[in-house]
Amino acid sequence: MKLLEIKNLHANIGDKIILRGINLTVNAGEVHAIMGPNGSGKSTLCQVLGGRDGFEVTEGTVEFEGRNLLDMETEDRATAGLLLGFQHPVEIPGVKNIYLLKEALNAQRAARGLGELDTFVFMKQVRELVKSMQMDDAFLHRGVNAGFSGGEKKRNEILQMLLLQPKLALLDETDSGLDIDALKIVSEGINRLRGTDRGIVLVTHYQRLLSYVEPDFVHILYKGQIIKSGDKSLALQLEAEGYQDILEAAS
Amino acid sequence: MSAPLPNLPERAALPDWLRGAISQPSAAPADVQAIAQAQITTWGLPTLRDEEWRWTNLRAIMRLPAATAEHTQWQPSPLATVLPDALVIQFSAGKLKAIPENLPDGLTMTALNTAEAALRHAAFAPNAASANDALLALNTASAHDGLIIDIAANTSLTRPIVLDWQDDAGTSNHSETRVLIRIGPHSEATVIESTYATSAATHWRNAVSVIHQAANSQLTHISLGLAGAARLLTDRSFVTLLRDARYRSINIQLGGQLVRREIDVDIREPGAHCDLLGLMMPRDKQIMDTHTRVTHAAPHTTSNEQYQIIADDAGRGIFKGRILVAQDAQKIEAYQNSRNLLLSNTAEIDTKPELEIYADDVKCSHGATIGRLDDEALYYLRSRGISRTDARRLLISGFAQEIVNALPSPDLVAWMSAQMDASA
Ligand SMILES: Nc1ncnc2c1ncn2[C@@H]1O[C@H](COP(=O)(O)OP(=O)(O)O)[C@@H](O)[C@H]1O
Ligand SMILES: [Mg+2]
Repeated sequence: MKLLEIKNLHANIGDKIILRGINLTVNAGEVHAIMGPNGSGKSTLCQVLGGRDGFEVTEGTVEFEGRNLLDMETEDRATAGLLLGFQHPVEIPGVKNIYLLKEALNAQRAARGLGELDTFVFMKQVRELVKSMQMDDAFLHRGVNAGFSGGEKKRNEILQMLLLQPKLALLDETDSGLDIDALKIVSEGINRLRGTDRGIVLVTHYQRLLSYVEPDFVHILYKGQIIKSGDKSLALQLEAEGYQDILEAAS
Repeated sequence: MSAPLPNLPERAALPDWLRGAISQPSAAPADVQAIAQAQITTWGLPTLRDEEWRWTNLRAIMRLPAATAEHTQWQPSPLATVLPDALVIQFSAGKLKAIPENLPDGLTMTALNTAEAALRHAAFAPNAASANDALLALNTASAHDGLIIDIAANTSLTRPIVLDWQDDAGTSNHSETRVLIRIGPHSEATVIESTYATSAATHWRNAVSVIHQAANSQLTHISLGLAGAARLLTDRSFVTLLRDARYRSINIQLGGQLVRREIDVDIREPGAHCDLLGLMMPRDKQIMDTHTRVTHAAPHTTSNEQYQIIADDAGRGIFKGRILVAQDAQKIEAYQNSRNLLLSNTAEIDTKPELEIYADDVKCSHGATIGRLDDEALYYLRSRGISRTDARRLLISGFAQEIVNALPSPDLVAWMSAQMDASA
């Protein structure tokens, strides 16, 4: 079953053309990795899918479970089941993590016609997740990402993902800034979401995450286009040979 | 014959209904009232030309419609259920309902108009000095209603006192109220004033409170401005602190078409300290204004001010904080911080510190920022499925929480947060 279908997507930031015809289909049950050197447009693709202001789609279509994603508000994309893990999660000092989690979960439930989750059940669920991400309970009462280290921010993204159980998780450089222990915790979290009814897109420019979360497909994004696709061996080839050879061979 | 005042033609003449109000005897001693009557007749209401009123136009008061309704129904105080052990004193359109019976030991309350002369002298002590103080003169000239709260020495009142001001238009569109609070040595109390209106009729209350804190006493004085889109409130507090006394003001204003608060703290003896915390949330066309004036008249005294304005729609928020350090008042620490949030292009915020320092061993800092809601934060929250409205509300209450969380009970914090969310 098709979750996400991107066809010939072009996008600009201001006058600058960033995406130049992206084609990508993600089916339920699949894990895709999008790799590419810095500045290729990976984050831009994520933000266009997230519906961030300031990005102009000039051509192409994106469907999410058959619906026109580009017409939807950011929050409706999220409640439809698309979750974006940010490369740089935003710090919001005044809003406690626990409030964000509660509001977000209740918004998801409301979109599915469910009432607010009982506080006791909610807290139990959240505490288990906090423990599984090896974070401290005190984190819940700190401001969202406020003063968090890079690693803590990424763990927080995964924690939110596990609570919200999206149909499609689009994780932008979730592995960057993680030490090896944190990388393992984050990878385990991602693997827990993996399932026949869900899709995961990992955006990264290193191979190392992919040895913990094995992708079914690997795509190389360069200068706003997917120039090569393959299976997980493509990531290993990249690791061994570096981007240069592959980019040259492809161009 | 006195010379004509040079700026007389520009002064706003008193409306007739106000002339009527000041011609009757007030609760002030007759000689004190006579001076105030002459002052308010000469000055009229403050105008934008008066330095302390540059940003706040009292036009709405000049245009106040005549009263129509008879005395309104007493509503239960909204705080009575939030703070079940509170001593609640209700006022409707300025009129005192009743003083509760069986007051705790050490606490005395007296209705202003039945108080003996010495008490009334104390209640009407501060003198108006210039046209900036015209509303003080008006209050002295015409206040009948109010309350005197006396807390004896060595009394720690655990039950908060709630002054519940239901500012509905009753038989009058206008009321003048005066409160005197005296805290004895080593005593402690919490006074919460809640002001609201239950009807859409316009009522203006001009209030003055006079607070005396003896040595080593503590007062938490909370002012909550709640519902009532049409009500107007002008409210001035004069606080005097003796040795080691602590005054903590929490001023949260969410409702009213015009709210002007003035908080004058006179720190008279060493070791005394005041905290002035405030949050004003003007929206629609509301005007919310606080002027604080802290006078460090003695050495070794400290003050801390944290003020926030969150202005939406065409709301206007004003904060002016004056700190005066007298000559020879050494070892002073005075901090002032004004953090503000503009939520719309038509809202306006004016914030201004004013420092007058005549001593040299003084640590004084002030800062003011005006920001907007962080678009990145809004997007991040929305990317989690939270609607734009809810995301905004989360960010706004996040910004305001520093002040709201300073309220003394968790139940009050929760209740006030809910009031804020409902009005946002
Ligand atoms: N807000 C922005 N304004 C202008 N250019 C931008 C902005 N964000 C990214 N870019 C540019 O878009 C290109 C792609 O960036 P990005 O999508 O972040 O790449 P990647 O995630 O692959 O490193 C880069 O050339 C970058 O400089
Ligand atoms: Mg990137």
